[in-house]
Amino acid sequence: MKKAVFLVRLWIWFSLRQLRSQYWRTLTVLLGIALGAAVFTSVRLAVNASVDSFANSMDTLAGKADWTVVTPGARVPEGLVAALQKHPAVETASPLLSTYVRPAGNGGEPFLLIGLDPISDRDMRQWSSTGTSERGSSWLTLMRTPYTLLPGEKLSERWHKAPGDSITLEHAHRTVDFQVTDILEPEGLALAEGGGIALTDIATFQEFTGLHGWVDRIDLRLKASAQNDAARSIAAMLPEGTVLEKPSEARESGKLMVRSYRLNLSVLSFVSLFVGMFLIFSLVSLHVTSRRHEMAVLRSLGASSRLLFFLFLLEGAFFGVVGWVAAIPLSSFLVRRLVEQVSATVSHLFVRVQVDQLPLDPLEAASSFALTLFVSLLAAIQPAIEARKVHPREVFLRHASRENGSPAPYCLALLGALLILTVWPLVRLPAIHGVPLSGYLATFLLFCGFSLLSPWCLHLLGSHLPPLLQHVGGQPAYLGGRYIRDSGARMALSVGALITAVGLFVALVIMIHSFRGTVELWVEQSISGDLFLRPKMSEINRYRDPLPPQTVQLLQDLQESVEIVPYRRIFLTYEKVPYQFEALDLSRLRHHASLLFLQGHPENIFRELEARDGILISEVFANQTGLGVGDHFTAQIEGTKLDLPVLAIFRDYRTQGGTVHYPLERFTKKSGDTSWSGARLFLKHPGEDLEAAALALKNEILTRSGDQAQALEVTTGRDLRRIILRIFDETFSITSVLLLIALLAATLGITTTLATFILERSRQLHTLLAVGASRTQVRTMIIWEAVLMVITGEGIGLCCGFFLSYLLIFVINRQSFGWTFIYSVDWTALWISLPLILGTALFAALPASQLVFQRPASQVLRE
Amino acid sequence: MASIFRVQVYLTDKASRRLPLLLCFLAAMVMLMPCSSRAETSYRSVAGPCHLEFPRDHGPHPGYATEWWYYTGNVKSGSGSPFGFQLTFFRHQFVPPGDETGWPKLPSAWRTPQIYIAHLALSDIMEGTYRHVEQMARGAVGLADATSDLEKTSVFVKDWSLEIRHEDSIHHLTAVAEDFGMNLILSQEKPPVLHGQNGYSLKGKAADSASCYYSLTRMSVHGDLVVRGQSIPVQGSAWMDHEFSTAPLESDLLGWDWFSLQFSDRTELMIYLLRQKDGGMSPASSGTFVDASGTTTALVFQDIAVEALDHWQSPHSGGSYPVRWAIKIIPLKMELTIAAQLKDQEMNTPGTTRITYWEGSVSVKGNGKDGKPVTGEGYVELTGYDKPLNLP
Repeated sequence: MKKAVFLVRLWIWFSLRQLRSQYWRTLTVLLGIALGAAVFTSVRLAVNASVDSFANSMDTLAGKADWTVVTPGARVPEGLVAALQKHPAVETASPLLSTYVRPAGNGGEPFLLIGLDPISDRDMRQWSSTGTSERGSSWLTLMRTPYTLLPGEKLSERWHKAPGDSITLEHAHRTVDFQVTDILEPEGLALAEGGGIALTDIATFQEFTGLHGWVDRIDLRLKASAQNDAARSIAAMLPEGTVLEKPSEARESGKLMVRSYRLNLSVLSFVSLFVGMFLIFSLVSLHVTSRRHEMAVLRSLGASSRLLFFLFLLEGAFFGVVGWVAAIPLSSFLVRRLVEQVSATVSHLFVRVQVDQLPLDPLEAASSFALTLFVSLLAAIQPAIEARKVHPREVFLRHASRENGSPAPYCLALLGALLILTVWPLVRLPAIHGVPLSGYLATFLLFCGFSLLSPWCLHLLGSHLPPLLQHVGGQPAYLGGRYIRDSGARMALSVGALITAVGLFVALVIMIHSFRGTVELWVEQSISGDLFLRPKMSEINRYRDPLPPQTVQLLQDLQESVEIVPYRRIFLTYEKVPYQFEALDLSRLRHHASLLFLQGHPENIFRELEARDGILISEVFANQTGLGVGDHFTAQIEGTKLDLPVLAIFRDYRTQGGTVHYPLERFTKKSGDTSWSGARLFLKHPGEDLEAAALALKNEILTRSGDQAQALEVTTGRDLRRIILRIFDETFSITSVLLLIALLAATLGITTTLATFILERSRQLHTLLAVGASRTQVRTMIIWEAVLMVITGEGIGLCCGFFLSYLLIFVINRQSFGWTFIYSVDWTALWISLPLILGTALFAALPASQLVFQRPASQVLRE
Repeated sequence: MASIFRVQVYLTDKASRRLPLLLCFLAAMVMLMPCSSRAETSYRSVAGPCHLEFPRDHGPHPGYATEWWYYTGNVKSGSGSPFGFQLTFFRHQFVPPGDETGWPKLPSAWRTPQIYIAHLALSDIMEGTYRHVEQMARGAVGLADATSDLEKTSVFVKDWSLEIRHEDSIHHLTAVAEDFGMNLILSQEKPPVLHGQNGYSLKGKAADSASCYYSLTRMSVHGDLVVRGQSIPVQGSAWMDHEFSTAPLESDLLGWDWFSLQFSDRTELMIYLLRQKDGGMSPASSGTFVDASGTTTALVFQDIAVEALDHWQSPHSGGSYPVRWAIKIIPLKMELTIAAQLKDQEMNTPGTTRITYWEGSVSVKGNGKDGKPVTGEGYVELTGYDKPLNLP
């Protein structure tokens, strides 16, 4: 203990004073590490808030259920409730229905309407009302009076409705006036979906949605005395196609979809912290370099080499701890801005979330602190080891130069090349539990490998370029080049920050460009159609409500002028992997659109599909399930068992899992399900103005639908494609923000790195001044050094970025999300941004170049 | 009468649901019935002769707000271990007749005007334990119902059921809970006893403050009890009450004491005492004596004298209940001492219901009709001892 106190006191005298005296540099490093920690923490908190919101909603909805009875792709007959309730092992069987509905009129935000039996549900889920209802027992009013509901506090506030008020709600099929019976207390079930729910009686729900005779699921709570085989016995009494699942399965399935997004965002946010690590390394290195004499004095006074090691390690810890503390207000600022965007992205792409609170998870805070501290200590280790090498005799060698024990540049280059080569076998390894660990490791190795190449590259540049530079920039350029040649291995890590940031920038630019290009192609080819028609809120209700029969009839009446491609979309899971089963009229679709097949000619594939019974699966589904062409896909859908070969794999970029396409005609024949989830319409005679013709058709459909029109969502093909691409762009906006922050940290790194080098050789620079060099020449020389350093960093970063982009597209994306893209480089963006990065980095170098003139040359030389 | 003013059931406590369900008259009117005057008047009321006919009136009486079939009994196992049991089925109509016209044109199968509740309790006298549990379900989609036809009357709530075979007046009770249950056959040994004026049982000053009320005061029992998974064959005697009404309880009442006693001389006695908030007894308190042949003698308030001899304080609710009584039926010269076979027979269900009441097996000794020595067993129900009933 005494030793620790002594170490801290010594550190305060020896290091903290030094840091205080160089407060701008200290603040820069602290800002860098704080930015990294803040980004990492806030991104994690924002993503966690979204995931937790979803998980909490699912848990709250599941209540105390031990098991849930569901029919994949369909609903459960309500008659099962009584049968299950009479099973000797069942304590409670509680039916549940839910759907998203919204207040009538434009702009009404959808909310989750839950239909339940208040009596059966009493042992299953916790909820209560505020009791302001005049009738006292609001649950009974729900049962007694049709079209009454209990909204959560948030909804009632949003609607400005009090008990007794009316509100008109619209569902896919109907619009009905509801009466607010009472307000739910903000507890239990009322907190699901961030409080955006309303409860109604199961009878009202069925009457509103037309789901007479059906429930979404039946939650079961078993008796404590239930035998182990109770589940099997219950399952045995279920009709074919209806299964018993653990309630956690729906939650886990949703979390599985978000997991990759969460992980990738976390890794991306870690880059800022990773870049911050270079800043600490630079500054601690600078201190070790510039204070060798003082360290030698300490050693001669009895300080052990171990003490010096810990002294500089403590400096790293100081940056970690203070940087993390400084990150708190930054995180608080960032997280509020990020959470909205992250939750919107998660809702758009995966599962609907409503984040109503940002809980500060102590574990998350602790892990963020631990990671920041770890990264800081890691950054300080190498300089601290360097400090350990200081010998007491150096006290007599006031100007002794540091022993250069660094390995030769080519050795480092060999090591770097080896690391880069290691990436090759790594990327071939499969993901572990869906996490592309080998991909992330490969990314790290790429960064390290390319950073280690930099001394050799600098050496090459410094060896061969100076004569040429002399022609261009005179002696300063020549000397700058020579210094770069001799800068040694330490520069590898200093330039590493820039390499990391630029590499990531280039990789993401390429990845996003490739992604967008492929999605555009997919949208144009696969999401073709002049008009798209589906029930309202189909997306958030997962297409559980088919088109009304009147609408189907209306569409069929239009067949003279319009080619109709109907589809039936069902959300399912295949061995716990969520996917969409889509039966569609492929024979008609192929006349107007195509699928982006990974292999094979579309015509041949469609011909084969006509000849034999089989399915087409998306690349995502193939990668997530391991199914390939020729394999057999088995599923129980709406009570119909399918066992079909996979005929081809196509590209698909729907985010809610993979997709399985099956000809609608065959599905209808096997399942007897003739309903349509929606339809694409192709105008047979569009005329010159396709958009105007599509709009005219839309108006005609809405007019002829009469009252049904309010239940339909009709979008022109152009609008739909625009919406998809807008969502795509919004999704990547957060990536761009994180990238900019990483670049900012890297720029700070350049300032610090240059400052390090300048201070390290201030005697050398002042000698130049003393022998006649002008200040401008010295400044120009430093600028040339910076130019060479940044160009080297950018060049290597560019190479690293190309490798990384391949890794992101074909390894990490495939392992995380299941999809890959058509590789395409956005040269324009790169041509514009790389000089900009160069300019910014050089601008950041200017303050460093001024450092050399802070002290008089005579004083420096005298010392 | 058994439970006419008895049960104020809530779906859960405030922490979880705060959903009151009152099964007594007043609560039914105040809490469960719609507020409109049209609705209030649309329930059928008991304001005169009930014209009870059997087996027809074993069946349900929709249109009246509240109805119950109430069974209590004392049985013994083959080894002589005594048990007391209670199984009650309640029907509550929470939508007045005629309100169905306001329902959607194509109503859901879940839309119903009826709720059913059942209480099950078992007193293991030898072991000294009291078990109780309850069920509730809406009268729809096969979860609960009460029906009657020429052959039988059926009432069920989930998997608990009562079936009365009309041909031979056999009552079949089945109810199995987590760690106890029963499967009993009850045979009617005496004709139905119509309380009050031929079943028209006045409970207050107004003519419609009344119920239709009859009892099967002596039924032989055989069958099985299930205790901790073990089936125990038993035999004994049971009592059945069937009552329906719409009228509310008077507002000045604190609670009630109800006694159903079966004597060794094959006579029976039912009395109910309505305790007022001022400490006195309501003049509406009354009773019925049934002799061995089934002939009844109506008892009025002045005929009955009851004195509590011992009390027991519940560790669960804090309520102090009488557990030993001295009862005199003055015109019949009956002097009886009644004692609880178990002190703790308190039905306290804060998690699902808010009512706390004592419902338990009792033993009797003393002098029966005309002072002849008798012994016997029965059931007593006590309400409003932990706190006044939540009656306005």
